[in-house]
Amino acid sequence: EDASLPAPQNISILSTNMKHFLTWTPVMVQGETVRYSVEFQGEYERVYGGESWIPISECSPIAATVCNITEDISATVAYRLRVRAQLGARTSPWATLKGFFNRITTSLTPPVMKVIADGYHLLVELEDMGPAFQFRVLYWKKGQERRVQQKVLKEVSSVLHLDTMEAGADYCVKAQTYVEAINRSSSFSQTQCVRAQGGTPMWL
Amino acid sequence: TTGNKIFHFGACRVSMSMAEIRAGFTAIKANIQARDPIRTLSILSYPHSLHKVKSSDRCCITHHLLNFYVGKVFKHCKTEDLYVNRKISSIANSFLSMKRKLGQCHEQNRCRCGQESTEKLKQILANYEGLNVTSAAMKSLGELDILLDWME
Amino acid sequence: SGDLYCSLLNPRNVRFESVNMRNVLHWSAPEGTGNGVLYKVKYSVYGVGKWIRKPECRNINITWCDLSSETSDYEEQYYASVKAFLNGMFSDWVETTRFNPLTETKIDPPIVSVSSTDKSISITLTAPEKWKRSPEEESISLLQVYPGLQYNVSVLNKKTKKRWFFSISNHTLVVPWLEPGTAYCVSAQIHVPAPLLDSGFSKEHCIATLKDK
Repeated sequence: EDASLPAPQNISILSTNMKHFLTWTPVMVQGETVRYSVEFQGEYERVYGGESWIPISECSPIAATVCNITEDISATVAYRLRVRAQLGARTSPWATLKGFFNRITTSLTPPVMKVIADGYHLLVELEDMGPAFQFRVLYWKKGQERRVQQKVLKEVSSVLHLDTMEAGADYCVKAQTYVEAINRSSSFSQTQCVRAQGGTPMWL
Repeated sequence: TTGNKIFHFGACRVSMSMAEIRAGFTAIKANIQARDPIRTLSILSYPHSLHKVKSSDRCCITHHLLNFYVGKVFKHCKTEDLYVNRKISSIANSFLSMKRKLGQCHEQNRCRCGQESTEKLKQILANYEGLNVTSAAMKSLGELDILLDWME
Repeated sequence: SGDLYCSLLNPRNVRFESVNMRNVLHWSAPEGTGNGVLYKVKYSVYGVGKWIRKPECRNINITWCDLSSETSDYEEQYYASVKAFLNGMFSDWVETTRFNPLTETKIDPPIVSVSSTDKSISITLTAPEKWKRSPEEESISLLQVYPGLQYNVSVLNKKTKKRWFFSISNHTLVVPWLEPGTAYCVSAQIHVPAPLLDSGFSKEHCIATLKDK
């Protein structure tokens, strides 16, 4: 194995909302397209699997310097990752990510939310962030901040009904994501307030 | 849907991401079960289905079966198919994560083994040892949905 | 497979098709064979030693066989197998993959009934029943088979064309404070989180709120 090719540098992970990407700086060879191969090793492989490494076929080989490793990082354990360059028969040594990556460290952003008042009905539209996500939605009548109500929503592919509102009243809503697999939540979204349809409600 | 499962064993509360394991297994189920030609024997269900186990023994059985899969089964399931191997790795690492969480219950002594579960675990090991190790491991992996159905 | 002279090509695509745990074995005729092919069927419980013949599906000329009765214990898993005959020739036994009724059955949408007042509609949902051998047999709702069963309900305001969704665990939903004299169309879907199973949405049931008194 001719290892004259330099190993990739600056291996790092970008992980947001449970989507994980491995990136590195390119190995430059004048007039040539260098390709790369990526492998991962879970804690199971380290402790029980003879420290074996598993190739990620979608990134073995690729010309890009980023690999989506989300599908393989599918347990909340410490993973190791490595990448090497290859040019024809020439391959570089493996460059291994410093330390480990555990998806528990993914950064969680507040959900994109739109609050709607439709007559006396309070509705919310939330961005679908994938099967790992639940949404904790808090809502209250303006002026009654102590009486906050909560709903946990899992299916969010449409306009979801939160509650019915008193005529003419203002209601405020905020939401955060919750990922049970890592038992963590995002910060809350901006609060949005809407007003219920006016007019004398039926019960008065 | 997250399909996560919260297990309550006494005061011990363990969240397990069953949906990810279920998805990983469903992706390779036909491939793995096709490698198991023995229809007449089951590792987990013989002679009695897991569903016959008393609920008080759930924690102990779950704890020991996670250890069984992590310690004995997965390492003998390497295949020539890279995609299958990646899915097995995903399941194995999820089991390792669950094993660790459930281990905390075991340490807090909330996971006691009764007579029945001890017998059941002995039977499972006897079924396993009754076959050569690769066949036993592949059969056990092919029966993962029996375990998941019971756990869920 | 073997000497063509005395063997017939195999039945193809042998599989279980299951809806609400009515488990029916289906297959396609051996390639190139017209009418006149006969079949016989056997099944086995995974982990149990023997294959069991299905007498009602012996020497049949149709390409399906209802094994619901034989596979009704959904805590077990099953195999089934088919053999074809024609003019003294016969095929191999051709098996299904391992069939797990609990995770592989398809679930019908819930039954939806709707009533209305001038300002509200009331929706009642009923989960389908598990297949049963005869009408006299006790009914088992799929709610008992899948305790975590939930409903996703869609309510469409026909005037504004706006659609709202509700996610509920119990089987009734009242939507108050609606517009009088307005048509609303309701449809619902069953969602089972574990093992993950979803029905399709039911057909829409439309009803109008009463005109304002």
